[in-house]
Amino acid sequence: MLKLAQYSLLASVMVVCLALVCYILVLALGRSVRREPVKEHALVGAGVGSSGGAARGSTSPAVVAPAPRSLAAYGTYFTWLALVFLTASLVFRAIYTGHGPFANQYEFAVAFGWGMMAAYVYFEHQYHVRTIGLLILPITAALLIYAMTVGDTAIPLVPALQNNLLLSIHVALAIIAYGAFSVAGACGVLYLIQPEGGKQGLPHPAKLDEISYRAIIIGFPLLTMVVILGAVWADVAWGTYWSWDPKETASLLTWLVYGAYLHARVVRGWRGRRAAWLLMLGFACVLFTFFGNLFFGGLHSYAK
Amino acid sequence: MSQIVRTRPAGSPTGGSLDGLDSGVSVSGTALLNRLWRFFISMRTGLVLILALGLMSLVGTLLEQTPAGMSTDPATYASWLASVHPKYGGWTPVLSALGLFAVFTSIWFKAITVLLTTSVLACSVNRAPRLWKLAFHPRTRMGETFFTHAPLRAAVLVPTEPDAASDNVRAVLRSHRFRTVTDPGEEGMNLYADRFRWGPFGTVIAHLSFVVILLGFFLSATTGFKNPQFTIAVGSTAQVGHGTGLSVQATSFSDTYYLDGSPKDYSSGLVLYKNGVPVQTQTVRVNHPMRFDGVSFYQSYFGVAAAMQVKDSAGKTLYSDAVPMTFTSNDGKHAIGQFAVPGKTGLSVYVINAASGQVDPNIKAGQMELEIDQAGQSAPVATEVVNQGTSTTIAGLSYTFQRTRPFTGLIVAHDPGANFVWVGSALLVIGLFLVFFFPHRRIWVRVRKASGGSEILFASTMRRDTAFEPQFHQLVTDIQLAGTPSSTTDIPLAGTPPSTTDIQLAGTPSSTTQK
Repeated sequence: MLKLAQYSLLASVMVVCLALVCYILVLALGRSVRREPVKEHALVGAGVGSSGGAARGSTSPAVVAPAPRSLAAYGTYFTWLALVFLTASLVFRAIYTGHGPFANQYEFAVAFGWGMMAAYVYFEHQYHVRTIGLLILPITAALLIYAMTVGDTAIPLVPALQNNLLLSIHVALAIIAYGAFSVAGACGVLYLIQPEGGKQGLPHPAKLDEISYRAIIIGFPLLTMVVILGAVWADVAWGTYWSWDPKETASLLTWLVYGAYLHARVVRGWRGRRAAWLLMLGFACVLFTFFGNLFFGGLHSYAK
Repeated sequence: MSQIVRTRPAGSPTGGSLDGLDSGVSVSGTALLNRLWRFFISMRTGLVLILALGLMSLVGTLLEQTPAGMSTDPATYASWLASVHPKYGGWTPVLSALGLFAVFTSIWFKAITVLLTTSVLACSVNRAPRLWKLAFHPRTRMGETFFTHAPLRAAVLVPTEPDAASDNVRAVLRSHRFRTVTDPGEEGMNLYADRFRWGPFGTVIAHLSFVVILLGFFLSATTGFKNPQFTIAVGSTAQVGHGTGLSVQATSFSDTYYLDGSPKDYSSGLVLYKNGVPVQTQTVRVNHPMRFDGVSFYQSYFGVAAAMQVKDSAGKTLYSDAVPMTFTSNDGKHAIGQFAVPGKTGLSVYVINAASGQVDPNIKAGQMELEIDQAGQSAPVATEVVNQGTSTTIAGLSYTFQRTRPFTGLIVAHDPGANFVWVGSALLVIGLFLVFFFPHRRIWVRVRKASGGSEILFASTMRRDTAFEPQFHQLVTDIQLAGTPSSTTDIPLAGTPPSTTDIQLAGTPSSTTQK
């Protein structure tokens, strides 16, 4: 089982890289063939921006017509395949260890990578914006490679971690939330690199704003539940629902940043660019919280 | 609902003042209150406060924080500061003076929390009446321009009379679970339909839940008690105190390990007594606390206790109990327990043994070192290594080390604030789900006579709810199909939604204005 988990992980890393190569090629070739109307659909990123309101993703049934079997479409299939491999890796691992992916940094990293892939596949399917993949796929690949280097020895659970159901839910919600946040963060980056009013070849800022909002309203309630379940667990295990442990505090920080984003979106002078900055800041907080295990110790320092 | 009209509050009276000096002097109480109120209901204020709280949390994560209880005692705090000095160097006193080593108890943090709470309450109070009106007394008719400029709109021609057409509209809307309100007027039949009208109350619930959670934190900090070092030797009983009338007897303790030596399980068999009557028996392990009457017992640590007996010269037993050796010497080599002998004021007995995993050649297996101190004397009265089971007389008292017994270390806590936190958390999740997944969806419809039948106008605001767009068009299509029973194949009637692209583009202005 452990071997199967390892092979699946390796396979998913390779497929993620293949998908990335496809997207980069599309971007590179796309620039030269943009004027050909036939290819218009292939450059999905460009398609949304240039054809303006007509290509409003899932909101308009007219645009669901898929692209021909282009390079970009292969890229999409590769991301699906990568998700399948990653899922397999997590399942094999769970069968082997007998618990969810919460015991060490390796398990967190693979689960986080899964969350990002799942969120990307979902949002790409919903909104046909492959451009965000150019940002998310490299991060996913890096995270998975990091997982492979960090070592996947299965260690037995110390008593505090022996709360399988609660912890599994805690971590499962966290990885979905983190996945959604990564999509929102990528949208924030794409928003900020464009001038006001959008840029040819990139998704329209209004579209990005919409996608990131969709991602946050999924991620934010989940993150809230993650923090609350963490408090429940802390109360059960340590007799205190909140102890200002660095990881707790970092999650609170992430929660506050996305809370700020939700408010910023309806405050004049904050919507748009500043909100996009908050999305990037939020994802930075997510990464900080995730890698925080490595340097701030505290109660979450099980994973060495 | 979320649009904030920011009008500058009239701080000083505008009329009457002849020169600049005059204005601003007469700040009336109501004007000041008004200004304060506008400050607190401004979402911009809330936003800045949230970010400030975030910044403080970041500082609290990045800088080492003083462990709880250490900052109250100056000497302990000084030694703690010295321990972090190598890390922060010359910044140490500066950071300390700014309270950044105890961010979460600092005045800054408390002040921002109080301001944010005020802002949250003010916003909720400010918003609630409007939400109430939107939900229960909605505006049922809109002006003509609304139907030509709304972000989501459509127009349909049906070959039936307006009465039949509006009945049909109502029926279709109801089948889509919309509530409908009819309001006939000169301009035609006005129809208002909405769904999830209770959704926006989620914002009020979520914001108030935040206050409930903070209240819980406040209660946790100010009421209840927590004893993180509640030790009981197996076979002994210890009083919980704090007026609870509870006492706990430890009947067993076991620690088990995996093959690689990492811990697998710690469990204590406990019997709980209330005023001397046994009320609960439970095996307490990590993640499985014992709870009674709001008091919780958590497995925390364990160690070795020395069963000691002290008799006076007449042979009367003064003390007989197991002393948990809970302290560790500074060099980490010895485990130390301490007890006082009843009736002998100022007498303090230390029981010393090699710490777990350590070897002291002077204290062999089956031995225990005793150090007897008298308050007021700098040197110990005596220090002696005693053998298990043999009594030793020191300064007129006979001491016997009987045997070692395991002790269990529990955390005992009574936290009335926790329940507020849980209720607040539940409300928070409920509120967020209401806001995000049950957005208030509203449609205004106007049905009026047109040549060959009726014209039906549809309009809706689509603010931050793009998922509604396809539903809206589905509704329009359904109504159109239901209203034209004869011609089912000829769907795109003349004058129907101009074309899909037109409606799509109609949506764009709303999103550009959001920038």
